[in-house]
Amino acid sequence: MTPMDERRNIRYVIWALGIAVFLAIPHVVTDKFLMHLAILGMLYAIVASNWDLTLGYAGVFNFAHLAFFGIGAYTSGILAVKYGISPWLGIPAGGLTAALASILVSIPAIRLRGIYVALLTFACSQLVLLLLLSQPLITGGQQGLTGVPQLQIGDFLFRKSRFAHFYLVGFLLLCSTIFLRRLVTSDFGLSLIALRDFEEYAVARGIPLARQRLLAFLLSSIFPGLAGGVYAHFLIVASPDIFGFSLTTLLLSMVLVGGVATIYGPVLVGVVMTFVSELMATSAWMSDVFGISRGPVRFMFVAVLIVLTMRFFPEGVWGLIKRFSARARDAQGTATEEQSQIT
Amino acid sequence: MTLEAIVAIIAGGLVSGSLYALMASGLSLVWGTVRMFNFAHGALVMVGAYSAWYVSNRGGIAKALQPIGKSIVANGEEAGALGGLLLPLGEWILSIKGGFGLALGVPFAILCCGLVGYIMYVLLVKPFVGKPGADLVVIITTIAGASFMQNGVQVIFGPRYKQLDRILKGPPLQILETAIGLQEVLIIVLTPLTLFLLHLFLKHSKLGLAIRAVAQNDDFAHLVGINVSQIYPLTFVVSSILAGLCGVMLGGLFFILPTMGAQELLFAFVVVVFGGLGSLPGTIVGAYVIGFIRESSAYIIDLYWAPVVLFATLIIVLIFRPRGLMGGEDS
Repeated sequence: MTPMDERRNIRYVIWALGIAVFLAIPHVVTDKFLMHLAILGMLYAIVASNWDLTLGYAGVFNFAHLAFFGIGAYTSGILAVKYGISPWLGIPAGGLTAALASILVSIPAIRLRGIYVALLTFACSQLVLLLLLSQPLITGGQQGLTGVPQLQIGDFLFRKSRFAHFYLVGFLLLCSTIFLRRLVTSDFGLSLIALRDFEEYAVARGIPLARQRLLAFLLSSIFPGLAGGVYAHFLIVASPDIFGFSLTTLLLSMVLVGGVATIYGPVLVGVVMTFVSELMATSAWMSDVFGISRGPVRFMFVAVLIVLTMRFFPEGVWGLIKRFSARARDAQGTATEEQSQIT
Repeated sequence: MTLEAIVAIIAGGLVSGSLYALMASGLSLVWGTVRMFNFAHGALVMVGAYSAWYVSNRGGIAKALQPIGKSIVANGEEAGALGGLLLPLGEWILSIKGGFGLALGVPFAILCCGLVGYIMYVLLVKPFVGKPGADLVVIITTIAGASFMQNGVQVIFGPRYKQLDRILKGPPLQILETAIGLQEVLIIVLTPLTLFLLHLFLKHSKLGLAIRAVAQNDDFAHLVGINVSQIYPLTFVVSSILAGLCGVMLGGLFFILPTMGAQELLFAFVVVVFGGLGSLPGTIVGAYVIGFIRESSAYIIDLYWAPVVLFATLIIVLIFRPRGLMGGEDS
C-alpha cells in the first residue's frame, strides 16, 4: 500500500467514525438545552464554512454573507406566515432568494478591489436590514417576524423529537461540507486560489476573474440560504439581529479562529464556539460577576478572541492541527526510514 | 413643491450633511494617512454620546456620587477637623444633583473619544501596520472592537434609551414659515466651523502638516524627519474626536443607545466612497450632496426608500468611477 492510499483510508475511517458518533449523539445526550445548542452550532457552522469560500479561498472581503443567511430566514418565514406556504417549499425558496441576492451583490462588487468590496458588501447587507425594518407589516419590523410555524411532516412535529432537527441539520451540514470540500479541491477552487494569490498572473493565464468571483459568491450563498430557512422554523422567529454587528463578529470569529481557507476549521470551531458563547450567556458564574446583563459579555469575549487570533494565530485552529499532524507524520516517516536502513 | 418643503429639505440636508461630514472626514483622514479603514468609527460616535451624557445628565456620574456626598455630610460633623474640611466637598457633591451640564460633558466626550481612539490604535491597528494584507485584517479587528464597545456600553449603562440635553433651549426658529429646531441650527453652524478648524490644523500647524506629509508619502516623510509611528496614532485620535463631536450632536437630536452610530457609519461609507477615499474636500462635498439626496428622496418618495435611492446612486457611481467622484490614484 502506498502512503497515499494509506492516508485516504485513514480519512475514510475518520469520516465513518465521525458519522457514527454523530448518529449516536441524540441517543446519548438527553439534555434538551445541549441538543438545542448542537443544532444551532451546526447551523452556524454551515454559514461560517460557506463564508470561508469567499473570505478564505477567493480572498474577497464579503461582508454581505450574513445577509444571505438572513434573507433565507426571512424568505421562508414570510412565505409561511403570510402566505401559508409549507416550510418544505419555503426553505428551498430561501436558498433561491439568497442565491439571487448574492448575484445582485456581486455584480457591482466584482468590479472593485480590496477595501471598496468590503464597504460595498457591508453597505448592501445593511440596506437589506433597512428594507426589512421599513416594512413592518410584512417583516415584523424591529421585533422580528414571530409565529413562524415549526417544521413538521404530517402530524409529526420536529420539536417533539430529539432526533429530527438534529439529523436534518446534520445532514445539511454534511452536504454543505462535502460540497465545499469538493469545490475547493476542484479546478474551480484552484482558480480562485490562483486569483487570490497572484491576480495578474492568473488573469494572464486565462482565468476569467469576474465570472469566477461571481460564481464564488453564488455558490457560497445557497447553503446559508437553506440554513437560514431552517433557522427561522427552528427558532420560530426571524429576527433583524441576524444583521447586527454582534452576530457578524461571532460568525467571523468562527471562520478566523477555525482557520481561513480550510472549510473544516470553521465547521469545527463553528460548533464549539456556539457552545462556548451560549454557555457563557447562561452560566451562573457569569451572572454573578456581571449582574443581569451577561448576554453582551460573551460578545465582548468573542471580540477579544478575534483580535488575539489575528495577532497570534493567524492560521487558526485547523492550521495548528495540520501543523501538528504533519509533524507527527514526519516523525513517523523518519522512524520508518531509519528502520529500513537498519534492516 | 411648496416653499416650506424646500426650506425643510435644505435644512434637513444641511443637518444630515453636517453629521455625515463630521464622521466621514475622520474616516477619510485615517484612510488617507494610515491606509486603514476603521469599522469601529460608528462605535466611537456612540462612545462620544454616552460619555457626554454621563457627565452632563442627572442620571450619570452625578447620581453615582450622591451616596458618597451624603455619607460625607452625615459623618463629617462627628469626624472633627478632617470632617470639617471634607464637609464643603460633600455639600458641593450634593448640590450637583442635576449633573455637570454640557459645558463639562462635551470636553469630557472629546477626551474620552481621543483616549479610546488611541487605545484602539495601539490594540487593533498598530500590531498589523506594515504587514501584508493589513488593511483587510484591520477591518476584522475594528469590527471586533466595535462589537466590544457596543456590548461593553450595554453592560455598563444597560439597554435603556438615554437622551442628551439640548445645547440651546428655546422655541424653534421660524425661517419662511418653517420651524427649525435650535439644535439643528447649531449643528448647521458648528460643523463648518469645526471642519474649518480641521482645515487650519492640517494646513498650518506642524502636526497637521506632518499628517499630510505622511498621507502623501510616508517613506519621504520619514526621510525628512517626521516620526511616522507617532503620526498614525495622532491621526486616529483626531478622527475619533471628530466622531465624538458627531455623537454629541446626534445625542441631542435622537435617543442614545448602544447600537447608535451604526446607521450613520453606513451613510459615512456611502459618503467616502462617493467622494473618494482619502480626499478630504471630496468627502465634505460628498457628505452634503448625500445629505441633500437623502432628505429630498425622503421627502419626495418615502422616508424608508431614501436609503435605496442612496445605494442606487452609490452603485452607479462605483460602476462608472470605481474610486469615487474625486478619488485619486489609490488602491
